Amino acid sequence: MDLASIVYLGVTFGMFVIFVLIVIRTYSKKRKDEGEIAKYQMLDDD
Amino acid sequence: MENQTYNYAIVRSFVTWSIIWGLVAVLVGVIVSFQMVDPDLNFPPYLTFGRLRPIHTNAGIYGWGIGMIFATFLYMVQRLCKVPLWSDKLAKFQLWFFNATIIASAVTLLLGYTTSKEYHEMEWPIDVMVVILWVVFAINIIMTILKRKDEQMYISLWYMMAAIIAVAILYIVNAAAVPVSLFKSYSAYAGTNDANVEWWFGHNAVAMVLTAPFLAMFYYFLPKSTGVPIYSHRMSIIAFWSLIFMYLWTGAHHLLWTPVPDWIQTLAMGFSIMLIAPSWGSVFNGYLSMNGQWHQMRENYLVKFLILGITFYGLQTLQGPMQAIRTFSAFIHYTDWVPAHIHLGTMGWVSMICFASIYYLVPRIYGRELYSIPLANLHFWLILVGQLTWSISLWIAGVLQAGMWNAMNSDGSLTYTFMETMVEMYPYWWARAFGGMIYLAGLIVFIYNLYKTAKKGGAIAAQATVVEGRA
Ligand code: HEM
Ligand code: HEM
Repeated sequence: MDLASIVYLGVTFGMFVIFVLIVIRTYSKKRKDEGEIAKYQMLDDD
Repeated sequence: MENQTYNYAIVRSFVTWSIIWGLVAVLVGVIVSFQMVDPDLNFPPYLTFGRLRPIHTNAGIYGWGIGMIFATFLYMVQRLCKVPLWSDKLAKFQLWFFNATIIASAVTLLLGYTTSKEYHEMEWPIDVMVVILWVVFAINIIMTILKRKDEQMYISLWYMMAAIIAVAILYIVNAAAVPVSLFKSYSAYAGTNDANVEWWFGHNAVAMVLTAPFLAMFYYFLPKSTGVPIYSHRMSIIAFWSLIFMYLWTGAHHLLWTPVPDWIQTLAMGFSIMLIAPSWGSVFNGYLSMNGQWHQMRENYLVKFLILGITFYGLQTLQGPMQAIRTFSAFIHYTDWVPAHIHLGTMGWVSMICFASIYYLVPRIYGRELYSIPLANLHFWLILVGQLTWSISLWIAGVLQAGMWNAMNSDGSLTYTFMETMVEMYPYWWARAFGGMIYLAGLIVFIYNLYKTAKKGGAIAAQATVVEGRA
């Protein structure tokens, strides 16, 4: 493996970590209502 | 409820122009289908398969697809943010500049000017026009989002923003070139790097032009049509982020078995398979949103278009990852299997969602109900049958072609000559042309229905303004 492939894979892994953090945040119990509110709000407007 | 004026006139104009470009795309698609079965239908130098094919693909993706993206984004952003557009003038400029860009593209392609990069054929002056067009559009949408009334953004807004930002980056990076004259430039990249950048652009164009915006429309128009919210907003957010992360790495699945480094190909293959998860996350979200509402498939023609559309998307995103596996790719690459994949997506997923969105918008932009629901149902069946005829015949053709190319005699020589494999394709190409005619008939029914809707009753105000709550 050369430097380019290590950087490529490193960025990929970094993005995976960010993704895991997003999943944890989205599914945290504290944010349940906040996470679903938009789907009701979008129906009010018409 | 507070009074609010929305700019629907611009939405109506974009809908009209995208339908015009959609008709051009399908007409030229039918013509090139016939040129493949009857080469005498080529009229050099302008009306040959080689020049008409990129006109078909560009009119389809950029005229019809992007035209509808402009129309629906300009509509959805106002409704979801509950504020009018940031700038009506900018939107009007965007409309005329969009048409100028499409016309310039069609004329230069007919004259034979091309970069020869697929989906990025237009020469550098048109690239400059595309960039101006996109920046104008991006500013208007982003500024409107910044003015929004509700803090939480609905999933459609996420997809819209992703598409706007990603397309800008993809297009500019792939457009990097050295102009040598007004109509000739050379790519800034060389060799396999050029191919890698081109397909990084190419497949992300699939993601950010032919997927993300249509998911934004699906997530908006499905609940609006059924009257019930989507199953899970949080699930849609996770599907969104995983789609964004995964698509970026998949471009090299177009370059399997090429001199591009092996590990890039393997990464592309791995991520393509993983893409099933976020894609089907949206498919399941759509299906689960129909819990208790399946009767609407019979009663509400809009729902039929949307659910069939997401089903095509589901099939497309199963077929795609399969094609990205090296061994499978070795079999079907270069065969007619691939256009069958593409048209499942473009004529099925993308166009079904466009039709549903237009039907939903009709009472809002014309101020009156659709002229005929039976005609809308006829339209549905014609495009469904036309599309399936197109794809099924070419899937069979692709497998047959691959089987013949790979067939070997016991002494290791090839069983069939290339010409023999071509001759075998004729019945399937005829079937494709026939399927295309059925699809075209469906499109004409659709246009007639809209024409009658627009003509029925009184004249329409130049600037349709609507009071919130009565749209
Ligand atoms: C999980 C999602 C998807 C994956 C993994 C995928 C995979 C692939 C692969 C591997 C190819 C190359 C086939 C070959 O040349 O051997 C391809 C071609 C293509 N796909 Fe997909 N696909 C996906 C979804 C879609 C969607 C939703 C569309 C929308 C219409 C689409 C449109 C296209 C187009 C236009 C091409 C042709 C590119 C060319 O001209 O060579 N794909 N896809
Ligand atoms: C009746 C409808 C249509 C017909 C008859 C048709 C026909 C064709 C034909 C004959 C080709 C050339 C295939 C080849 O080179 O082997 C083609 C390619 C293509 N068409 Fe269509 N088409 C239709 C609708 C559409 C629409 C609505 C879109 C886009 C929104 C579209 C996008 C494309 C693309 C991206 C390709 C390139 C495929 C590739 O690289 O393999 N088509 N079409």
